Amino acid sequence: MEIELDTRGGQVKEHQWEDAEGYIMPLPPASGPRRIPRHDFPTGPDVGEVLPDVVAVDQNGRTVDLHQDRAGAPAVLVFYRSAVW
Amino acid sequence: MAAYDEAGVKLYALSYDEQDALADYAEAGGVSYTMLSDPDSEIINRFGILNTTIPEDDHPWYGIPFPGAYAIGADGTILAKVFEHNFAVRPGPEQLLAAALGNEADFGQEAQAVDEVSVEVSLDGDRLPSGVTRELVATFRVPDGQHLYGEPVPEGLVAATIELDDTPGILSYTPIAPPTSPLTLSGSGETLEVYDGDVVLRLPVTQNSRNTTKTDEGRFVTVSGTVRWQACNDVECFLPQSKEFSFTVEAAFPVLADMGPGEGRVPAMNGAQHFQKMIDRRT
Repeated sequence: MEIELDTRGGQVKEHQWEDAEGYIMPLPPASGPRRIPRHDFPTGPDVGEVLPDVVAVDQNGRTVDLHQDRAGAPAVLVFYRSAVW
Repeated sequence: MAAYDEAGVKLYALSYDEQDALADYAEAGGVSYTMLSDPDSEIINRFGILNTTIPEDDHPWYGIPFPGAYAIGADGTILAKVFEHNFAVRPGPEQLLAAALGNEADFGQEAQAVDEVSVEVSLDGDRLPSGVTRELVATFRVPDGQHLYGEPVPEGLVAATIELDDTPGILSYTPIAPPTSPLTLSGSGETLEVYDGDVVLRLPVTQNSRNTTKTDEGRFVTVSGTVRWQACNDVECFLPQSKEFSFTVEAAFPVLADMGPGEGRVPAMNGAQHFQKMIDRRT
């Protein structure tokens, strides 16, 4: 999929830019981690599919297998960019 | 995450941060949900959501996903997913919890029939942090024999919608509605999208911190608009109806990660050190 970057926005003042929806950010649009898609972009498995297996270490160093860990409960899985930055 | 615990829904958050960075963050923020570490972006890749617009040598940014969330049911199937274009925007926890529970409405005890369509409008949350969406929820009780319609509607019919006023600084995202059944009209051949029974419409909204009002009590924004609908039975359609709403809620700023000296940053998670480590590990 060819993903077009959203370059809309502009500089507000020193060290401050805004994007197309007016959110303020410390970098110009379409740079660094703010490379956001203008149109279609991949969003992973679809509604109706079983969530693929997720096995990873958690904040306490414990290995977690998501489907086993939730033990039949509904769940929410959030993919976010970083807790550090 | 008391609401999640009460509802029996588990919450997981995954990123490419290392486990020790997550440990610091979780402790600094008092996090009670599960944070998962995917430092080589293996899971991000397997899901197919790696942000491939970032060059492979652009460290440490390469490896991040297109951010989004999946709500899954008890059997592990995906009930809903939310991926917005703008990375400054993320779905609020209430919105994802509702999705994991099937976006049902809680009509409470009253199962009595109604004579005409009635609607309740609420904002699912009492604070609106910049970029975090909360849902406007319109809950329609529909009498037996009447129906509401989804878009697109033929000329002259009003679909059930939540219409937000065009207020600067207030933004809305992908509306969420129950499925409709198509009904082809024999005369015109046009198709109506019919909602079955009671209907719950949801519109995620947020504010971008550019238009807040400051009072002695803090900063606020007002989310206002109109809910519109038109009901029909098998014989005729009734007059279009509308109901205005306005919610004034506290406008908050998002919590920023601690990257080092700066104004208004949250301390205590060694952000700068972890950030440098992320670059060093990749270069």
